[in-house]
Amino acid sequence: MVKIGLYLCECGPNIAEAINLDKIAEQIKKDNKVAGIEQHKLLCSEDGKKFLVESIKKNEFERIVIAACSPKQHETTFMEVMSSSDLNPYMFQLVNIREQCAWMTPDKEAATSKALRSIRAAINRVRHHDALQQKEIDCNPDVIVVGGGITGIEAALRTAQKNRKVYLIEEQKLGGRLREYGLLFPTMQPAQEFLNKKITEVKNTGQIRVFENSKVKEILGFFGNFVATIENKDREEIEVNAGSVILAIGANPFIPTGLAKYGYGTFDDVYTAAEFEKMTSSNNITTKSGNPPKSVAIIHCVGRKRLGYCSKVCCTNSMKIARYIKEKLNGVKVIQFYKNLCLPDKKYDEFYKKTKEKGIEFLRFSDIEVTKEANQMMLKYKQENDNEDALPVDMVVLSTGLIPNPKTEDFAQMLNIPVDEYGFFKEEHMKLGPISTITEGVFIAGCAQGPHSINDSMVQAGAAAGKILSSLVPGRRLQLETKTSYVSETMCIGCGVCVDICAYGALTIDESKRISVVNEVLCRGCGNCASACPSGAARHRHFTTKQITQEMIEILK
Amino acid sequence: MANNFKPNIIGFLCNWCSYAAADLAGSSKLEVPATLTTIRVMCSSRVDPVHIISAYLQGADGVLIAGCHPGDCHYQTGNYYTRRRFALLHKIMETFKLDPERFRLSWISASEGKRFSEVTKEFAEHIEKLGPNPLKNKPFIE
Repeated sequence: MVKIGLYLCECGPNIAEAINLDKIAEQIKKDNKVAGIEQHKLLCSEDGKKFLVESIKKNEFERIVIAACSPKQHETTFMEVMSSSDLNPYMFQLVNIREQCAWMTPDKEAATSKALRSIRAAINRVRHHDALQQKEIDCNPDVIVVGGGITGIEAALRTAQKNRKVYLIEEQKLGGRLREYGLLFPTMQPAQEFLNKKITEVKNTGQIRVFENSKVKEILGFFGNFVATIENKDREEIEVNAGSVILAIGANPFIPTGLAKYGYGTFDDVYTAAEFEKMTSSNNITTKSGNPPKSVAIIHCVGRKRLGYCSKVCCTNSMKIARYIKEKLNGVKVIQFYKNLCLPDKKYDEFYKKTKEKGIEFLRFSDIEVTKEANQMMLKYKQENDNEDALPVDMVVLSTGLIPNPKTEDFAQMLNIPVDEYGFFKEEHMKLGPISTITEGVFIAGCAQGPHSINDSMVQAGAAAGKILSSLVPGRRLQLETKTSYVSETMCIGCGVCVDICAYGALTIDESKRISVVNEVLCRGCGNCASACPSGAARHRHFTTKQITQEMIEILK
Repeated sequence: MANNFKPNIIGFLCNWCSYAAADLAGSSKLEVPATLTTIRVMCSSRVDPVHIISAYLQGADGVLIAGCHPGDCHYQTGNYYTRRRFALLHKIMETFKLDPERFRLSWISASEGKRFSEVTKEFAEHIEKLGPNPLKNKPFIE
């Protein structure tokens, strides 16, 4: 019979005072299912671990049950002890008699019988454990960065280092939308100066290979081993290998052609903020008639309702534009028509106050229409208090939000990443994985994930870089999830149910055998396929039906 | 019904949310019924309908599955599958002449230790009212 060793941890007074461990030892002895029982004051201590290793070796135990704290606390600690005791770390079960027993059950007798039940269940489970091997694969530390805007540039700069190459792929020229910028918010420094500094840095970093006027045709593979096909400026196809991908394809400004009341496309001198930005970078602000405007209205939140979200960068951008106009054109009148101001950062409120001080007006409206009367553009608007008014202006700037890059969908399909209801890439989790995606090794940064300021986009690029630098280390092999699923060749009927439900695309049908197979690099070990499989062919390692049922049967005895 | 009926309740908890919530309930010293014994799974979607049926056939008085809130699953969509299987199992339970109220699905996030304590207390009280599982000590096929 297999030799199971049971260790009871007192956890100082934590467990010892709430549970009668002597009684448990006595009962388990009577059950006669373990080869030995030992009790210790604090098994996770250095002394405790030493005791465990010596005791396991001396008693020649083959499988171990430890009744102590939550696996979230010390499962890894004790798995290391298993390895030090020359046992497979999975031949072990930790029973949580502290958090989920001692600490939640005030009655000592009730706590003791619950702990006994859980320990018996673990003993019954550990019998059916399999020795699992830590799998490793070779991985490529290089990085593919899609999109050469400021986010992509920053991502490339942060990931490029000795022993790690970066492929930075841009459809046009490095710099992206920032190339069309005049000034930066809130520092009001020249955008091109800043950008050129960054681009020079890229060109001086030997580890970054830049592909301008190039397209990503295809990316295949998985974490650690991606292959991208790039069509370069000479329309040649080039293949590059990398371990991870950063998608920094940015966003586009919303074009309000469908919103007739703003007069965009109907009247001269109605521009989107992005178009106006281009004019500022060429330093030439004139109306179609060739004269500088005497009055400019900036209308906020254009298309906000249609988009369904706040783009969070347009209010501040509008103020930046207003300040620019005010400084450039002597005596010009600048009015901001807004509904809600979005000023979410520590420096923004101050910027707003200064903008007001400079004589820029802020007018809150509930409705607005751009019209033309006898060659004069007129803004007809309704104020907050429902009073209607009209104002002649020479130029109108429409502050529109950001919409997803139309390429988002293509990359989403290529790399099996979901997009959200607005069409941006969906992050793995808003809080737990804000820059990772459900496809391991593929990261999103900047406006590809949703509207972001330049600062935030660069922070995200840095975060993605950090993830890559810490997970793909040159010369080190990639450790894979051990508790993955596998499919029994003899049991599988090839129905494909598991293929459809797997959120990670880890299961595919092997066409030659007509059965399902698991890609262990992609499998994250949730076990959903094992529950869905109608023939019992898909199995979840370390959570097999047998292991779960045996644990359960003992609880229900 | 005897007043001293102590039910035996199984709780399948997903590793990422509800198991952590149970730990939190414990470390916050919130009471959780001793009649509930938990089984840890990586995702609530690992709970095979077969496990549930076999739990009742083995005499479980109540079964609880707890997982991450919809949209918050650690494995993206696992809990949606759990929800569908739960609905299906309700139908199956009727054919067993088992009260579907003996089966509970709850979404409890890692930070909701208090909620874990409340849900389990309420469920255990409810099971105590329902009395022992009628399938216990009874051959399945009559």
